[in-house]
Amino acid sequence: MLARAIPGCEGLEQTGPDEYRMKMKMALASLSGAFEGKVKITDQSPPSSFRLLVEGSSKIGFVKGEGLLKLTPSGEGTEVAYEGDAQIGGTMAAIGQRLIDGTSKMMIKKFFEKLAAESAS
Amino acid sequence: MATTIIQTEKLVGKRIRRREDPRLITGTATYVDDMQMPGMHHAAIVRSPHAAAKIRSISIKAAAEAPGVVAVFTGKDTEKVGPVPCGASLPGLRVPHHYILAIDRVYLVGHPVAVVVATDRYLARDAADLVEVDWEVLPAVADPEKAIAPGAPPVHPQWPDNVAFVYNQEGGDVDKAFAEAEVIVKQRITSQRLIPSAMETRGVLAEWRGADRQMTLYTSTQVPHLVRTLVAGMLGLEENRMRVVAPEVGGGFGSKLNIYPEEALMGFVSMKIGKPVKWIESRRENFLCTIHGRGHVDYFEVAAKKDGTILGIKLKLIQDQGAYHQLLGPAIPTLSVLMMPGLYRTKNIRAEVIGVFTNCTPTDAYRGAGRPEATHGIERMVDILADELGIDPAEIRLKNFVHNEEFPFPTATGLTYDSGDYAAPLQKAMGIVDYTKLRAEQAAARKQGKLMGIGICTYGEICGFGPSPATPAGGWECGTVRVEPSGKVTLLTGSCHHGQGEETTFAQLAADELGVDIDDILVLRGDTAIVPYGIGTFGSRATAIGGTALYYAMQDLKVKMKKFGAIMLDSHDVSYANGQVVCNKMGKSVSFKEIAAASYRAMKLPPNTEPGLVSTHFWEPPNFTFGFGAHIAVTEIDPETGQITVRRYLAVDDCGNIINPLIVDGQVHGGVAQGMGQALWEQAVYDDNGQLVTGEYTDYTMPRAHMMPWIESQHTTTPSPVNPLGVKGVGEAGTIGASPSLVNSVVDALSHLGVRHIDMPLTPEKIWKLVAGGKN
Amino acid sequence: MIPQTFEYTAPKTLDEAMALLASGGKPLAGGMSLIPMMKLRLATPEHLVDLGRIKDLDYIREAAGELHIGATTTHYSVESSALVRGKCPLLSAAAGAIGDPQIRNVGTMGGSVAHADPAADYPAALQALEAKIVIRGAKGERTVSAADFFVDAFTTSLESGEVVREVVVPVEQAGTGTSYLKMPQPASGFAIVGVAVRVQRSGGKITLARIGVTGLSNIGYRAWAAEKALEGSAGSADDITKAAALVAQGIDANSDLHASADYRRHLASVYAARAITAAASKA
Repeated sequence: MLARAIPGCEGLEQTGPDEYRMKMKMALASLSGAFEGKVKITDQSPPSSFRLLVEGSSKIGFVKGEGLLKLTPSGEGTEVAYEGDAQIGGTMAAIGQRLIDGTSKMMIKKFFEKLAAESAS
Repeated sequence: MATTIIQTEKLVGKRIRRREDPRLITGTATYVDDMQMPGMHHAAIVRSPHAAAKIRSISIKAAAEAPGVVAVFTGKDTEKVGPVPCGASLPGLRVPHHYILAIDRVYLVGHPVAVVVATDRYLARDAADLVEVDWEVLPAVADPEKAIAPGAPPVHPQWPDNVAFVYNQEGGDVDKAFAEAEVIVKQRITSQRLIPSAMETRGVLAEWRGADRQMTLYTSTQVPHLVRTLVAGMLGLEENRMRVVAPEVGGGFGSKLNIYPEEALMGFVSMKIGKPVKWIESRRENFLCTIHGRGHVDYFEVAAKKDGTILGIKLKLIQDQGAYHQLLGPAIPTLSVLMMPGLYRTKNIRAEVIGVFTNCTPTDAYRGAGRPEATHGIERMVDILADELGIDPAEIRLKNFVHNEEFPFPTATGLTYDSGDYAAPLQKAMGIVDYTKLRAEQAAARKQGKLMGIGICTYGEICGFGPSPATPAGGWECGTVRVEPSGKVTLLTGSCHHGQGEETTFAQLAADELGVDIDDILVLRGDTAIVPYGIGTFGSRATAIGGTALYYAMQDLKVKMKKFGAIMLDSHDVSYANGQVVCNKMGKSVSFKEIAAASYRAMKLPPNTEPGLVSTHFWEPPNFTFGFGAHIAVTEIDPETGQITVRRYLAVDDCGNIINPLIVDGQVHGGVAQGMGQALWEQAVYDDNGQLVTGEYTDYTMPRAHMMPWIESQHTTTPSPVNPLGVKGVGEAGTIGASPSLVNSVVDALSHLGVRHIDMPLTPEKIWKLVAGGKN
Repeated sequence: MIPQTFEYTAPKTLDEAMALLASGGKPLAGGMSLIPMMKLRLATPEHLVDLGRIKDLDYIREAAGELHIGATTTHYSVESSALVRGKCPLLSAAAGAIGDPQIRNVGTMGGSVAHADPAADYPAALQALEAKIVIRGAKGERTVSAADFFVDAFTTSLESGEVVREVVVPVEQAGTGTSYLKMPQPASGFAIVGVAVRVQRSGGKITLARIGVTGLSNIGYRAWAAEKALEGSAGSADDITKAAALVAQGIDANSDLHASADYRRHLASVYAARAITAAASKA
């Protein structure tokens, strides 16, 4: 489910308890890159929260993201709140402030939309 | 032989258009990247994406097998090449060994780790992507104050406190001054990191001819002779077997007053592969791998009497050195200390400089190199003091200036100001803008809720670097004047102009001095095989020192010409005037061309007469020169958005005698643009992990033509007694004067809201917050 | 600054181009966004299909009360065209606010619109103009409204293999006033905030208000609440201030080095008030 929710994810391979190796293709506007990295889930306190760590690197730089996801039942669905931090390095760090904020917001939005869709199905 | 004397028109002081401009503006100049050689190879450099990391391993196999690749080298191959040198020496200075390629650890983003050499630039770049580095990422620190706080990650593990050096300087009795003070003002003032942004990025072409055991290194530099001495040393090559050529150099601003790893690296590669090899820095590399400027956090304290008399100044200066010391890095903040008293009489100064390692690009000389930072600090402090005491900022300056009769004036920091009339440019500027009327207008504007500010900066500049004891590598300059058999004049200068216009100004000097047509004069520089050893162009020194060296060479040449003239005229009583040697008794003369031809033909020379017409002079200046001036900026602020409009910008500079007013205006305009860039727009911003987030021009705000106000340039003239030309220097004046006058102006506009200081750059958001919140 | 190897084709007709795009080519128009990304190797297209040689994509025509602007028309053409200046001054103003003269002389309207940079100038104007985007794909053409075209940051309703063929904007009606105002990010020239306003006045009242905002969030959007507040009002200074205060309502504002979310939201109201005032004064 995680694999389908992460935008551009082309495969997750479990490497340990709550740890996965990931291949991801990021394509946004004209930017594109193949990333290899890992996904880790920590601080799990089901069903209310968990921490997601995502790391990826490619020729155009690297991304490290960490987010705390809080799930609260609300009405018929579940409200998902997140707080997180992303680090970007390498050439990607230079492509512009304007792009990074918008891009990460969109990726997160896509992630939750997909997560919601996957959960519903 | 003619008998008429031609009175030629003097060119010094004339607004002559730059002779170098046609080739520059038509794109026909030859830069390093324009050079082609048979068998030339191309290098691409693999660099660290991390600010701090250990290298577990490097795999070059795939890159080495890529199409067109002839060699790949890593730090293991280049380990024996000497370190990138630091020329500055301070007591207790910690100097990390600066390998040209990283060995097992990287210290900043952009740190070179491998070089890929291919037959084609594109193939080299493609193959660079195939070099695999296994990184162990380490914590990094990018802020100098955070770096010296306890628990910060060490940039260099051998020095866990991240302190590169501590430098103290004191003059007078500071404790007494502060004890007697009626008022003390304190302020933290930053001078942010800037990217020098020369229009031409760096580039190196190395050609090793093994059979001759000779190397030619073409490099975009301000200091070809220093490059020769130091890079030859790094490569273990005898200095006389290395020739360094600086072809056309598209700007430097201090960033090319340096020795860079790539200069030695290309030399190394060329020796290894036996072919010429070229590397051209990309703009992205230029942002990361060419030195940055500024990077100060200053804590100022000024003690004064209630009437505004400054009694003493204390400064704690935290200098962000970056990960390494480049050529002059640690010396730059010491120049700030020297300039601390500004134009003021105070004799009580104390400074503590803490140089700090961070995981960032090294800082070094950038236009003004320490003096803009110091001037920004002291000129802000004077305004803060004036505000505190309710004294007009112009009045407080006039009260504290060194008096005219006190020159030569010894400062508390050990300098001797050569000459000056410090009130003159300020009074001239106030007259031009009608200062009293502006203040009245400001008061009226405030009543209507409008925000208008008037900012003054009066600055001093250490020009003409410098006497040799004050510089790491000799502070003199050499000049050769060579008259060819045809009578054409070739000037060889150790200065290495890269946009300053000496092809014109030096020719003007020589045309007047020798009385020849300016079109008969060629100025050559930048080739160690052509020009005798020289120092180079930086620190507003080329005219004051390089020009003076040529001046003395020409005096010597004229003595030689008189000797030949006397022989030709068969007279012992001759003089040199307007390009001729004249017999004082008979009035007969021989022309410049006739003497030139005769000196080489050498037909009727008495015994022991040396043929030919060449004179060389190495000139050591007895002192710096000290330019000064007053800049006034009038600004208006949109209170709703915080946007600043510079309504008027006036620079009144005193750079001593002026050779070409057009070129001086150009220097002032460019300098003010750079100072305004720092005041309003430019900033190199690193995130907490040492990533440069303003790493392209989409986020690093270089001033553009359409963002600039008209800059009015005026002058007062106080000749320097240090050199016979009476010149001081003006290369950095505009930059030094601009940032304080602009920031003072904006703070002045907001002062009634309780704002006392704003750190640069003055972004609209900062201003908006202050207008909305009314605090600093 | 050296891109990866790529193939380059410059077809002369749109049909040829469509065939190349269908086989995986990436369209290149003015290249003002794509080429820098390629030089940094952030974009690595294998095949560029240059639309710049297709003559019948570079036009500005008037037909049936609308202006049709071909995709490869440069910003400078849009800015300087007498037709656009006279009949749709809002679009001309937005084009003239893009970047700098060099960019405007090379960059194209279709390229910019298809790129959907969230801080570009056109989206605000196209939203306020209720423009239509004509899309050409393998199966033919379809037309979508600007409101449906812009989906998210750098994301449009263009499907793979489709290109923007033309942009259609209405000819300005009598009694209409427009204005586009922006605060540029000084380094890039893109909008920190840009507001495009189109209002119509009749009988002392604002009868129609269309407000497009760019730079503030992930997409250029219509400020519905502000439009509603303005319509039916007398357009007094007070009405304008109240309406302008609503332009950022419910918007997740961007935040970066150049402007925080709070400042952007504030600027959106300030620029909206100024743009509405300017537009209303012309209506």
